[in-house]
Amino acid sequence: MFTNEQIDVASLPKLEDLQMNPIDRKYLLILLLNIFFTYGIPIFGLLVANYLSVNKQFKDFSPYVLFTLLLMMVLTMLIYGIGFKKRVYALRERDICYSHGYFINKLIALPFNRIQHIEIARSFLARKFGLATLKIYSAGESGSDLVIHGLPKDVAESQYAFLTQVINERV
Amino acid sequence: MSAFDFESPSRQSAKGIIVIFGINAFKVLKGAWAFILLIVIQGIRSGNGSFRNQLLIIGGVLAVVLMLLIVAILQYLNFTFYLKDGHFFIKKGVLNREELSVSHSKIQNVYIKQNLLQQIVNVVSLSIETAGDDKTEISISALPKPMAIELKRQLLKNSNQLRIKDPEPKEKPVYFRASFPKLLLEGISENHLKSFLIIFAFVIGLYNDLKEIVNSIGFMNGYKGWFQLEGESVVALIIFNLTFIIALIFVSMLFSMLKMLIQNFDLTVIRNEEGLELSKGLFNKINLGLTSSRIQKTTVSTNRLKQLLGLYKLSFTQANANKKQQLNFNIVGLGKIQVKEILNQFYPNIDGRIKRHKPSKYMLIKHSYLGFFLLLLINMVLYFLPAVFLWLNAVLIILIGSSIYFTYQKTYYYVDQDYIVRAGGGLIDTWSSFLELHKTQCIQISETYFQKRRGLAHLTIYSASKTLKIPHIPKKEALNISNQILYLVESQNRDWM
Repeated sequence: MFTNEQIDVASLPKLEDLQMNPIDRKYLLILLLNIFFTYGIPIFGLLVANYLSVNKQFKDFSPYVLFTLLLMMVLTMLIYGIGFKKRVYALRERDICYSHGYFINKLIALPFNRIQHIEIARSFLARKFGLATLKIYSAGESGSDLVIHGLPKDVAESQYAFLTQVINERV
Repeated sequence: MSAFDFESPSRQSAKGIIVIFGINAFKVLKGAWAFILLIVIQGIRSGNGSFRNQLLIIGGVLAVVLMLLIVAILQYLNFTFYLKDGHFFIKKGVLNREELSVSHSKIQNVYIKQNLLQQIVNVVSLSIETAGDDKTEISISALPKPMAIELKRQLLKNSNQLRIKDPEPKEKPVYFRASFPKLLLEGISENHLKSFLIIFAFVIGLYNDLKEIVNSIGFMNGYKGWFQLEGESVVALIIFNLTFIIALIFVSMLFSMLKMLIQNFDLTVIRNEEGLELSKGLFNKINLGLTSSRIQKTTVSTNRLKQLLGLYKLSFTQANANKKQQLNFNIVGLGKIQVKEILNQFYPNIDGRIKRHKPSKYMLIKHSYLGFFLLLLINMVLYFLPAVFLWLNAVLIILIGSSIYFTYQKTYYYVDQDYIVRAGGGLIDTWSSFLELHKTQCIQISETYFQKRRGLAHLTIYSASKTLKIPHIPKKEALNISNQILYLVESQNRDWM
């Protein structure tokens, strides 16, 4: 039996009407700390080297490098700061959506019946702040996985339990 | 009843020792070629080495060969396989004993291949692809062909995803066979720009690596005069570069022709209700089965020259197939009618329903910006060359401009309840890809800062192997399409594999 009925696009559930939930504000702190450490270690190293060095050329040149690194650190922090509000997610009856990015905004939607497996990951900092990362994998290429950082631990766990239940009921 | 007993553990064909030896020797050579090259160069440099040194080298080579042989024999003796209770078992390993088992229901596909060495000793290799993790390799490297075919049949017997009948190719009519002249034609009409670039990059990369050696031998002294940029030698330089480029073009043509001939030698396609079976290859003979349910994306491609000659290529991607195998799901040298027939087999009723929707003209603007930056970059290099070279800009502008125009002209998309279609191309190539809508894994709408101001977005549709990207369409449209795809995927609940 083959049917091919017309679908009324206007009556379908709309992605644009979604009420998106923000992630935990504490995650911004983790992001900033991560950036701080990534740039902080070379900056600190350079400062020490500058203090110990006797090479005049190096001493003259290193402040410029230091300044560039500092500028890059502040800029990166600013970009992550601006973009933070854009990190939102929504759960629907049959799929999960996540959106992020300020300069390049991405909205990913992953239907429940395409989930391969799910995972909760918690970094050292995330554990300290009581946060968790929820990873949802589909069978596609790497870009087709949905990764929500910075969920409160209990939210992540309840989502995980919910999704596991959905997957188990599917078969 | 089968003539082979797979129930009790059995070894592969004794010729397997040769095959394993060959594979191991190849691995050693591949790993140590730089080291060997170094020794050879050292040997040449130091003139004819002493008798003692020569003896040492010969002794070393013999020792390595002997060791490889012993390893091969041990690996052969320690490798057994058998079928039991719906599972396929392999036991292997000399020092690390390993036991692999896979249930029949988890088997996705079974490949029978034959590389050059296996062709010489007349055995085939059999490898099993499973769902899920693509790292474990389950393969037997040397089996007599009838035994491999029987084993394949037994392995796929219980699998409900693949309903391949007894593979007896001789009894089934051959749907398509690429003749030698056709393959030659395919090879000549390839887009040589790609292999040209590969060879060009290779030569440039090699030049830096071999500079030391070349200098030490004093090979370049004779040609030094070519590179002096005095007034008279500008003409010489141009002539040199022209000969260089013509030689490279010639080599790249030869390269793509050989590649085409080797990869697709004796390409044979057999069509049945479940899908296609293809076999091809000169040195590496492969035998693949394509089933409709596992195909993710299908692409028809051609180029200007091929279109004139009536040559089209069909490429398929399957779920979970790793990249190396993906390359082989190609059928070259098809005619327009055959392409239509095969497409209609995998995508019923696709004919005549496609309406071409175009992306926004902003695509032209964005590509123009990119082209402009590319031109600027090239000119920064040209600046250091004699003024004559600035004329290259005229050629480049025409090239870049027309490729921007044709890229836009050839791009279109179409989405309905069953299929997603996206076509594109460039100055020379033209392609169109097809995906069954229910094979969508996930969708992504992305908008850059510049797109946002114009209300545009990219829509990316992920399948289980490759993606389809619809660029620069109005965001409203992208959302509508997404809503439709999500609705259909979620409400139909059809298997994607």
